[in-house]
Amino acid sequence: MQDALLERLSATVGPANVLRGVDLSPYAVEGRTPEAAVFPGSLDEVAAVIAIAAEREVPVNPWGGGTAASVGMPALRAGLVLGLRRLDRLVEHEPGDLTVTVEAGMTVSALQAALRDRGQWLSLDPPEAERATIGGVLAANASGPRRHLYGTARDLLIGVTVVTADAAVVKGGGKVVKNVAGYDLPKLFIGSYGTLGVIVEATLKLRPAPDTERLVAVRFDRLKDAGAAIRALMSSDLIPNAVELLDATAAAALGPGATGGAPGLGAVLVVGFDGLAEQVEWQCAELARLAAQHGAGDVAPLAPEVWPRLAVAARAAVPVASAVMRFAVLPTQVAELMEHGADVARARGLQTAWASHAGVGVVTASIFAERALREPAPVVAALTAWREMARAGGGHATLDWAPLAVKSQVAVWDDLGAAGRLMQRIKAQLDPKGLLNPGRFVGGI
Amino acid sequence: MATLTAARKTGLRRELEAIVGPGAVLSDPDELLVYESDGLTLFRALADFVVFPTSAEHVAAVVKLAARERLPFVARGAGTGLSGGCLPAEGGIVISLMRMNRVLEVDYANQLAVVEPGLVNLHLSWKVGPKGYYYAPDPSSQQACTIGGNIANNSGGPHTLKYGVTTNHVLGLEVVLPDGEIVWLGGRTRETPGYDLAGVFVGSEGTFGIATKIVVRILKKPQAVKTVLAVFGDVDQASAAVSAIIARGLVPAAVEMIDQLTIQAVEDAFGCGYPRDAAAALLVELDGLLVGLDAQAEQIVQACRDSGAREVRTARDESERALLWKGRKSAFGAYGRISPAYMVMDGVIPRTKLPYVLRRVNEIVAAHGLRVGNVFHAGDGNLHPNILYDPRKPGEEARVVEAGAAIMKVCAGVGGSISGEHGIGLEKSDFMPFIFSAADLALMHRLKSAFNPTGLCNPGKIFPTKKSCVEVGPVAYKPHAIEEQGLAQRF
Repeated sequence: MQDALLERLSATVGPANVLRGVDLSPYAVEGRTPEAAVFPGSLDEVAAVIAIAAEREVPVNPWGGGTAASVGMPALRAGLVLGLRRLDRLVEHEPGDLTVTVEAGMTVSALQAALRDRGQWLSLDPPEAERATIGGVLAANASGPRRHLYGTARDLLIGVTVVTADAAVVKGGGKVVKNVAGYDLPKLFIGSYGTLGVIVEATLKLRPAPDTERLVAVRFDRLKDAGAAIRALMSSDLIPNAVELLDATAAAALGPGATGGAPGLGAVLVVGFDGLAEQVEWQCAELARLAAQHGAGDVAPLAPEVWPRLAVAARAAVPVASAVMRFAVLPTQVAELMEHGADVARARGLQTAWASHAGVGVVTASIFAERALREPAPVVAALTAWREMARAGGGHATLDWAPLAVKSQVAVWDDLGAAGRLMQRIKAQLDPKGLLNPGRFVGGI
Repeated sequence: MATLTAARKTGLRRELEAIVGPGAVLSDPDELLVYESDGLTLFRALADFVVFPTSAEHVAAVVKLAARERLPFVARGAGTGLSGGCLPAEGGIVISLMRMNRVLEVDYANQLAVVEPGLVNLHLSWKVGPKGYYYAPDPSSQQACTIGGNIANNSGGPHTLKYGVTTNHVLGLEVVLPDGEIVWLGGRTRETPGYDLAGVFVGSEGTFGIATKIVVRILKKPQAVKTVLAVFGDVDQASAAVSAIIARGLVPAAVEMIDQLTIQAVEDAFGCGYPRDAAAALLVELDGLLVGLDAQAEQIVQACRDSGAREVRTARDESERALLWKGRKSAFGAYGRISPAYMVMDGVIPRTKLPYVLRRVNEIVAAHGLRVGNVFHAGDGNLHPNILYDPRKPGEEARVVEAGAAIMKVCAGVGGSISGEHGIGLEKSDFMPFIFSAADLALMHRLKSAFNPTGLCNPGKIFPTKKSCVEVGPVAYKPHAIEEQGLAQRF
């Protein structure tokens, strides 16, 4: 990269906020190191950096906490990492409005801590909340177990400020909880992986913190029985805030409480409840009654520390994963996908771990590395079979993580058909030069 | 705006009939009159044709024909919209979805339904009700409005405070794009790869294409419901009670406010049990588990009493509850009995600004020599000031429009929005700069260009326009054709 460019960047954000050389190692993805990492300290500086990059046609990779940096294909060309960590302020919180405006670089846990003091919370619990930033969580559409009741970013984001590829500062939505003026731009940027603009500020809906919250585990001998219990739970009067189904391997990653100290076969259903103490109490009792009808063991309480482990259990259960695949299927298909998916892998000599937000049909599976890194063929075969299973039932699969040797043989994203062309037209409208995360997203976007 | 030559019109009619069938095309000016406006009769525009497709293939073929002929086209549901969004502002073809009104599939185990766009909102809840489910978004026009229209406007309703608006309940859509291609946006699963095009489509006011199938979530009916009516001698106290409820950490299903003028109109018309001398009333509904509901209702009662409510009562049974809701939902109809006409406004403000903004609304309307009734979703700050007027009095309608613009400026000024659920349509396109910069609008326009590059799909809406060839804008009131025949009244 030309020194002239780096000098301009340094002049814009200050030399201490431009990293080069060996300092860039935390920002290397798939062995590819960016030219530089730049950390603007204000909205105007973000726009100035993008203007400089646009002028030189240097790609820009927006970066929050880096928790989803390896999702998707690596950038086509090395460019600038644009880090948002200095934009980490809580801009405005009016408890009476149940809304908060934050800068994109604030971590989820820092925001939750600030809100907790005032009796409220953001009902979004993505993995790695200590590192994950609000901007990154929105860009990657990250979520956690409580999405069962409270939804995902699309249900919470009411306003967004972005800097687009032409360095324009654009606001979408607003600060009020109900708003249909103009197009719903917040939806456009959620899950766009930084390919349409750099999120610099967000306004989100909040909820009052519940009086009580409890997490319980129910063990089943067979996934199938757990699946039937979930169907019964979903059609009951209960209002769980999380419905998680894990195979025994993934459940072991939750800690001893979940498996009753006897990991091995079977499945664990983890259910969360919140509300008044009496409501939580009654629901736990009802759950026990309902689960018993489906051959479950006792309902065991889990420690609150288990919550953040749920979304990463499939991955954490595997010391070194060779691939992680994420599925979206119908809730009634979850148990069967988990069971058959594990069979398909086992037939190829692969060990797997499975965890799911079962009530909403989002499943994560990881494959143990062992031999797999030396021999990608069985991994590729299993992933291909998994994707076919999901698609046969009308669902989707995304290769959330894998080494390039695998990614080069198994597409990261599903084929999008006609909708993909529409997405490409949107990308072409918003980022005609392909400046933002080029090549990373669906359909080569 | 009949600008087509007679010969071309005859030819087009023949082609349209070949697509949708001979009984499904209107082109006689008398028949087209019914489609010249929506619920906001200030705006009128005539189409050249109205067609009634019965399949996505029909819609696609009509759209392709329109694209070939460079004729503008617009989708229309029940026509209950309140911003002129479905008007054929520049002539062309109105594509009525009213014959595509089936529930195609209900998957109770996965809590979703696949419906056609012309399905009446309430009919979906009727369909799934016997099995204990319902469709949550409940606009006040839900007895007539369609799911497709709800998609266009991202419609809300009283219970969206807890359950979210239309977009939170739509999983996927089959859409005919403005070039006639049929695509799926989103799907049945909670995540689909790529951009959230279903999320972007909802609320695009018919400018991105025409939905022909819609996958919506259906919810389990709550185990128990409790409805509380709190009566106040002062509007500020009622506003304060809304904040007090939120401050206690409660999330009611609905918090609706009804002011004195509206209460009196409703009582005159229907006798729903609201005290006529109250300055304002709050209708608060809680739902969820039976366990704990009484305790939560008691919290509501206390919050209202602490804020100065002079009377708080809880509906004793379903019939009492239904009567209270009838009062709320029929308020618009009741205005018709006390005023020859009224204009429904729609704005949103942060909840905490409620006392200030309500005062300003009343001042503004009074300064224009008019009366206003307020009935609105107080819990989420979504105001509906309804300005009463007499269109036969010269100049009065112009003052209504002026007052409306001033109210929108107040909403924008406190960090709010110019529409919470009715949409921008034709009515508010020139208000967009109140809350959006040129850069914001430019990005929206690029997004529109990706979906609708020719601009033929519902032209003239949302964006501030140099006024088009047709005279769209406030015109002298005249009753809608079906009003004149006594078939309908304005809500």
